[in-house]
Amino acid sequence: MTQALHWLKSLEWRRELNGWARSDGVTWIYIFKVLIAAFLTYWIAMRLELPQPRTAMITVFIVMQPQSGQVFAKSFYRLLGTLAGSVVMVTLMALFAQNSELFLGSLAIWVGFCCAGAARYRNFRAYGFVLAGYTAAMTGLPALAHPETSFMAAIWRLLEISLGIVCSTLITAAILPQSSGVAMRNALYQRFGVFAEFVISGLRGDSDPAAFEASNVRFIADAVGLEGLRAVTVFEDPHMRRRNGRLNRLNSEFMTITTRFNALHQLLERLRRRGITPAVGAIDPGLDALTQLLQDFAGRALTNADAAVLANRLSDFKADLPGHVRSLRAEFVKTDPNDDDLLDFHTAYELLYRFVDDLHDYAQTHASLADHNHAREKWVEPFVSTTNWMSSVASGLRATFILGVMSMYWVATAWPSGASMTLVSAATVALSATTPNPRRMSFQMACGTLLGALVGFFITFFVLPRIDGFPLLCMVLAPVFVFGTFLTTRPQWVGYGLGLLIFFSIGSVPDNLTVYNPYSFINDYIAMVIGMLLCAAAGAIILPPNSRWLWQRLEGDLRQQVGFAISAPLRGIRSNFESRTRDLMHQAYGLAAGKPEVQRNLLRWMFVVLEIGHAIIELRREQDILPVHPSYAEWQPWRQAIRAMGRSLVRLFIQPDRHNLARSLYAVDHAIFCVQNSDEPFAPHFDTSPLRRVKSYLHFIRTCLLDPQSPLAAHAPAQAEAQLSQGLSNAS
Amino acid sequence: MPREIAFHGVYMPTVTVMFLVAMVLSWALDRFMSGLDLYRFFWHPALLRLSLFSCIFGAMALTVYR
Repeated sequence: MTQALHWLKSLEWRRELNGWARSDGVTWIYIFKVLIAAFLTYWIAMRLELPQPRTAMITVFIVMQPQSGQVFAKSFYRLLGTLAGSVVMVTLMALFAQNSELFLGSLAIWVGFCCAGAARYRNFRAYGFVLAGYTAAMTGLPALAHPETSFMAAIWRLLEISLGIVCSTLITAAILPQSSGVAMRNALYQRFGVFAEFVISGLRGDSDPAAFEASNVRFIADAVGLEGLRAVTVFEDPHMRRRNGRLNRLNSEFMTITTRFNALHQLLERLRRRGITPAVGAIDPGLDALTQLLQDFAGRALTNADAAVLANRLSDFKADLPGHVRSLRAEFVKTDPNDDDLLDFHTAYELLYRFVDDLHDYAQTHASLADHNHAREKWVEPFVSTTNWMSSVASGLRATFILGVMSMYWVATAWPSGASMTLVSAATVALSATTPNPRRMSFQMACGTLLGALVGFFITFFVLPRIDGFPLLCMVLAPVFVFGTFLTTRPQWVGYGLGLLIFFSIGSVPDNLTVYNPYSFINDYIAMVIGMLLCAAAGAIILPPNSRWLWQRLEGDLRQQVGFAISAPLRGIRSNFESRTRDLMHQAYGLAAGKPEVQRNLLRWMFVVLEIGHAIIELRREQDILPVHPSYAEWQPWRQAIRAMGRSLVRLFIQPDRHNLARSLYAVDHAIFCVQNSDEPFAPHFDTSPLRRVKSYLHFIRTCLLDPQSPLAAHAPAQAEAQLSQGLSNAS
Repeated sequence: MPREIAFHGVYMPTVTVMFLVAMVLSWALDRFMSGLDLYRFFWHPALLRLSLFSCIFGAMALTVYR
């Protein structure tokens, strides 16, 4: 009895410990890894008598991330960025050594260019741009008074940064590594379980709109986040590198199945809103079968073996589906439905069939991850991200302006600490250029720097004179670094942590020869804080990215993806369209943080764009693979009508208003009418008749345009409802 | 082996050159091993790579300082 009690107690204790190890434990391990890497770097740099050991140590703080893949990626781009920045600085110095105005002016333009680049590429490549920008400032400004030292300064800086990079990658990879590959695999496995639950509740019709939207936002963030992780794991793990193409494909196929499911869900919702009609009764049995199939996979991680099982079951399901549909249809026709109901029935099953088909593809790709080599690896449709050029130009302008103002102030006043102010503002503006809210980031960094200054003053002038030796120095510095690193692990406090770590190290960490100069110490810190506060002010005033003008532009870009779906070349268009739309949506959603009504509006636009764009891509593919026969020729009225519909849709999505909507509706109705009145040489079944498939996609576009939930409904004339019920009879 | 190498008039320690050569060698070895999926037999691939690099570099440096 007592033994059992004992055992229970130990179990409880262990479970707690495991829970802690998986959450806070990881953070603490990370903090100690940062400490080890930082002090190792610091020691080597001092031992080698590099002129600025602190630069090497700051590199560690900037590069270190909890996951090893991210550290490799960041290190790689940091090295490239530093090289580019040093080259530019030496060139500028060679050109304008005698004239600091010209030097400062071209430096401002260069930093602006780099910030624009950083805002354009929002992943780790952005980091290369950030570095290229501020390295030039960091090495150039202190050397401005002594141009002859600038070349050696650049070389030393490069060496210091390489040392920091080598030490931090070594420590991250060798000591208790947290690999991005594992994180990505977990995310992939979990994602499908969540999606299966989402599909089941959607097919049953018991999901409320808020949950539906929240899940969709989550899937978008997952798609964009997984792409980021994939780009990073390439640096880390040969195992994942061999699967790169398949991971890319998996993400693309996942986006396709979410879009497809949203389309199906939307159609079902619309049918259900009308009540229990015979059409709903006829569609439900097919949905139930799929629900039962997915039930086994809902809410749990889908491993590679599970995926193989899923693929087998889906392939059986898919093989049985046409026969099943035919028998359901025969029964449905007995109830003597009208044209519109029959079209709904066909469209729903066409969408369901495509959904199952895509799901099957996804499961196969997922199962193929188990193999080291696989035919599915050959995938040429990468995730395409897109950025509004206005936002990157705004970021560049902001940086150029800040640097210009600072340099002018420095030249005009000849303030001895002007160099620190200028270079710190260059660093701050570059580091905050990649965040959605530069004002908050800069302000947090200023606060962190202020804290760093206070702590640094105390340590430099009251503690350092009393201690002796490297181990004691480490003991003194460690608490600050632990606190700063802890702050950087919490997303809402990253700015404070970065400011504390970087600027405490710049000002207060001693070199081999410690210099005690309170006058320049205080002056430099004041200059740094002022520089950052000005960056924060500029981030709030000069074209702030998290405000209306940018959402509206991004919303316009989102809408124009329909034009992209209509006019872009067909090759690789689907994953191109899906990833661009999601990427835009993800950006806009992040920028509109704290404005739920804006976010909701963006999300509704995205649904319309994805659904219509997807249907259009299907239409284009159908037309591309038509058999050679006069009834499918280019000059047939139905094909001309579809082209006219495409033009009217482009117009509608560039300028959504009442007239354009009415015109598009008319064009769609006309196209449906033309398709209905065309003859074709094949039996009117889904698998044999292209025209029937075309018709169901047209019908789908029409229901999308008429959907009362969509943002287009605001422009719909009052007769829209009436038109929905009258439908085709109206057009014909 | 000479301990320093003249490169365009700059004296460099031979080990620096060896470091670069060792990096290239271990990169090639890494590609080879990942191509045959040999890393699945190891507990800690990153540590293995690091150790292999240390062995290669150490063996090459021994030829200089011995």
